[in-house]
Amino acid sequence: MIKTHKRVSDLHPEEIITPGTGLCAGCGGLEGLRLALKELGKDVVICNAAGCFTLLSVYPFTPLQGSWLYTTMGGPVPAAQGIRDALDVQLKKGKLPSQENLQVLVVAGDGSSNDIGLGPTSAALHRKLDFIYFCYDNEAYGNTGFQLSAASPFGSSTQTSPSTHEHPAGAEKMKKNLFDIWKAQDPTYIATVSPREPIDLSNKFAKAKTMSGPRMFICMSPCPTGWGFDPKDAHVIAKLAVDTGIFPIKEYFEGKVVHTKRPRKRLPVEKFLERQKRFSHLFYPERCEDVISQIQKNVDDYWSHFE
Amino acid sequence: MIQVRFHGRGGQGIKTASQILGSAAFNSGFQAQDFPLYGAERRGAPIVAFTRISPTPILERGPISNPNLLLIGDETLLNDSQVAPLCGADESTIVFVNSTKSTEQIQKQFPFPAAPLILDLTDRCQNFLGKGHILSTALATAGARILGNIDLKDLLEAVKMELGQSLKPETLQKNLELTQDIFHSLSPCTIPEKPIKALASSPLIELKQTPVHEAAPIILAPGNMALRKTGNWRMQRPKIDYDHCNKCLICYARCPEGTIKIDEDGRPQIDYEHCKGCMICAQECPGHFIQTIRESEGAHE
Repeated sequence: MIKTHKRVSDLHPEEIITPGTGLCAGCGGLEGLRLALKELGKDVVICNAAGCFTLLSVYPFTPLQGSWLYTTMGGPVPAAQGIRDALDVQLKKGKLPSQENLQVLVVAGDGSSNDIGLGPTSAALHRKLDFIYFCYDNEAYGNTGFQLSAASPFGSSTQTSPSTHEHPAGAEKMKKNLFDIWKAQDPTYIATVSPREPIDLSNKFAKAKTMSGPRMFICMSPCPTGWGFDPKDAHVIAKLAVDTGIFPIKEYFEGKVVHTKRPRKRLPVEKFLERQKRFSHLFYPERCEDVISQIQKNVDDYWSHFE
Repeated sequence: MIQVRFHGRGGQGIKTASQILGSAAFNSGFQAQDFPLYGAERRGAPIVAFTRISPTPILERGPISNPNLLLIGDETLLNDSQVAPLCGADESTIVFVNSTKSTEQIQKQFPFPAAPLILDLTDRCQNFLGKGHILSTALATAGARILGNIDLKDLLEAVKMELGQSLKPETLQKNLELTQDIFHSLSPCTIPEKPIKALASSPLIELKQTPVHEAAPIILAPGNMALRKTGNWRMQRPKIDYDHCNKCLICYARCPEGTIKIDEDGRPQIDYEHCKGCMICAQECPGHFIQTIRESEGAHE
């Protein structure tokens, strides 16, 4: 029986991540992980790919109550496989009491999830590895100074895809559709979550906790440093991403995709774009009408399948 | 050679300040070197930047431990044992602090080797740029003026060079106005020569080989990150108005760090030792019952 949360006061009171980490003030991804771990609890072993969340644990300190294994950017899922197998073998032999069974959680950024680590993830999905995957998606390689990743959306400027005379839009490729890539391999559960919707996020993790097999989460992570906005606006940006329909909050379970938080009336995409420095070239010195309308069209096309 | 050290926080433009000062000195015919130093830390964390200025080629490299001029972007850093901005300063070091206090007040509080120069840059940045925490132009201008050997013309040119690429013309114009304002509010100092010390050699360290299981970085104390205080990252501090707080706990859910705890009465309590001052709580409080105060003022309440 899954307890559903209705109010903020229903959130689990225990904090699994202690403060003191070296992550940026106002990090949206940290908030997503904090809320997620509140739900998953202490009995978790995290396999952390290199990325921004490298700074979660800086020797000799850890913010976690549970275990944490640091891996290369492409290696968190193989690490999860190894840990899962070791746990299973030890449990089966009776060398480990069943209450010491841990939930294996992969924490990786969008760079690792979309680019370098996708191969091993695909293989793990194929093997139906019993784990949870948490991808904090700030739409670029944020740890090294915000370079283009396969998750950088069309029209955004990054260190390696600035707006130039040759390439006025900045990033010219569409964001990779990780949700559908994963969906094609039919894992147990997939969901997109936003720190802006803590109740929705907590309910999804509560649900995933009761299942077994591969379970995936994409957490939209507003990045004050890379996206270029005041840290205090992180939630305004996260809300606009949902309200403009740019970031659909949905889940995939038993063959069906359900939008759990639908924007009632979708706002124009400019509302989201104009508040961030990475899109400022679309508005200044001249308004790039073609790029903005293309972004709007992509969003409209997406939602037309569900309306 | 003049050695300048800047202290501030990630996001305040401390690196840019050192660049502007370096470029301004270069424009005035000097040789210059500028670079920041930060570890794994992020936006809000204390950082340091350096500028070396000399009429002759600069052969020295590395951080400046014994500066001629210290520019401190935030007075709350003075209180911080991890940053220790006065480290390496002696009687001949000129110290500039961005503060609202008077020289007497601040000297009572902190052990300055000599009376520091003070100007409220945050207030001016707020007036000119509408953003009190962006100190790049202001701190570089203060530095250039105190050194006294950099022309205003060269400084303005440096501001255009360093910021012109990324700022809109009207914002750049405001930065140039800010430069002129601060330049005329301060007066130049004479920088005393520092005696050249002989280099002391230290005995070589003997390295011993350690077994792998001892050398591997394993942490066995859960949750000890809380020992690391990140409260010194703040430029602004949130303050809850408990007379009006209706315990909706939105601030608690929205705090990325989890620094808002709930007490027995169900009221949110901010953990100021760890709050990084992102101010999401103040922005998100539905009734706007969380105030934003400048850290240097809030800390003494």
